[in-house]
Amino acid sequence: MTNSARTASRGALALVPSVHEEQGPTIWFCGHCGARPSAAGPPATDARVCESCGLGLLLEAAAHAAPTAGAAFLVLDRSLSVCAVSRGAEELLATNETDAVNRHVTELLVPADSEAQRGATLAAAVSAATRGADEARSVFVRPANLFGVRMRARIVPCGPPQAALLSFE
Amino acid sequence: MRYLKTSEAAALLNVSPNTLRAWERRFGFPKPQRSPGRHRLFTHGEVASLRDALQEGLSISSAVSRAREGLATDTNSLIGALVSYESERADAAMESALALRSLERSVEEVLLPSLEEIVRRQTIDSAAWAFSAHWAADWLRRARRLAPPPVRPVSIVLGDASRDELDPDAPFIRSLELFSVRAGANVLSLSVRGVAGIGDAVAVHRPNLVVIAGGHVGDDAVARWAYAVRLAAGAMPVAVYRRGPQRVRMRTTGTSVLPGGASEAQRRLLELVETDQGGRATRVTMESPYGIQTGRRTASM
Repeated sequence: MTNSARTASRGALALVPSVHEEQGPTIWFCGHCGARPSAAGPPATDARVCESCGLGLLLEAAAHAAPTAGAAFLVLDRSLSVCAVSRGAEELLATNETDAVNRHVTELLVPADSEAQRGATLAAAVSAATRGADEARSVFVRPANLFGVRMRARIVPCGPPQAALLSFE
Repeated sequence: MRYLKTSEAAALLNVSPNTLRAWERRFGFPKPQRSPGRHRLFTHGEVASLRDALQEGLSISSAVSRAREGLATDTNSLIGALVSYESERADAAMESALALRSLERSVEEVLLPSLEEIVRRQTIDSAAWAFSAHWAADWLRRARRLAPPPVRPVSIVLGDASRDELDPDAPFIRSLELFSVRAGANVLSLSVRGVAGIGDAVAVHRPNLVVIAGGHVGDDAVARWAYAVRLAAGAMPVAVYRRGPQRVRMRTTGTSVLPGGASEAQRRLLELVETDQGGRATRVTMESPYGIQTGRRTASM
């Protein structure tokens, strides 16, 4: 058997598409004012304080979901505790980050969509995001102390450490 | 105890001094003390604890919260040791607190809150409180023995109107004494029950100010003691001290009511003495050649 015939009969390695979608670009933003850092690339572990406002830590999220400066958003951990409240969210929810931190999210927001399907609830969406699920989930919520208001919130993963970013749309 | 200037603390946290001051305003942490020149001095323990929390945090608020929790472990350790009747472990908890804080802050942030918590949980009739109160009195006495000798021309007579060592006011009064001594004042502490011979004590001590501390002894007994001191030493400023927030509205008749926190009360005491000494100097210079005084006291016995 010639060399060429031997090569043709042997199994060849082929590139198989990944079952996971390729992760899109990510960007860093301040967890309080939403501003983007001036330096490109990830910040050093000990230099994550926002240079614009000095009151938030830099977090990373998917570029399509990262908030803009002044946006209203919350950062939640896997136990559904509030970890950060942006300046915009402080105004929107009439609260203060120092008061809200470590409280359960339901003390600030409650689901406001009685017809939501299973898996689209606030808790499920936050849990999925803190586990690193890439897909953005949308839920309807209202401030816990206010009726007649309905806000659409988008929940995506952010970090480090792994957490959920809840942005009001 | 290692202290850091604002620039050093900011460098350790990798932020600007302005950011650090902004955190102090917004979060009250890290909480600096002041140098004699009124510059901020941060304890290394607090700053290091915040730096570690920031590296694992999602926001400054949550990092501050975590750093505070870390510091609160000293209080829990002390409470645990006291309710277990273990004085050596209680001493160790205070040593651990002193590694992160000044003595004043260790007393105010660890020792006194722990004692208040034990009173709240166990009541003042309990054996746990009896043990804790005795341990605290002993610890504060030991700390006072290590204080430097008086360096200020300030002499204070403290009339102790608490019941005894088991009175919840007692540790606060001992703390006020300790802080005043450490601030350089000469402090003589006497029970307001001892009136006979008070003139001799006052003649030796020559106080600039009298503090009546505690609220157990009745008003009549306190008034008798204060009158005897006044007879012996003449008119001088008087201040009243009770622990914690001022709960009772008192008829002060010219006396000053000190803040409930021991270190705040100590600062106010020195201000009162300095104001009075300044007033005396002003009065001497304002005296007319005919010996008519034009100065006026604001708080005197």
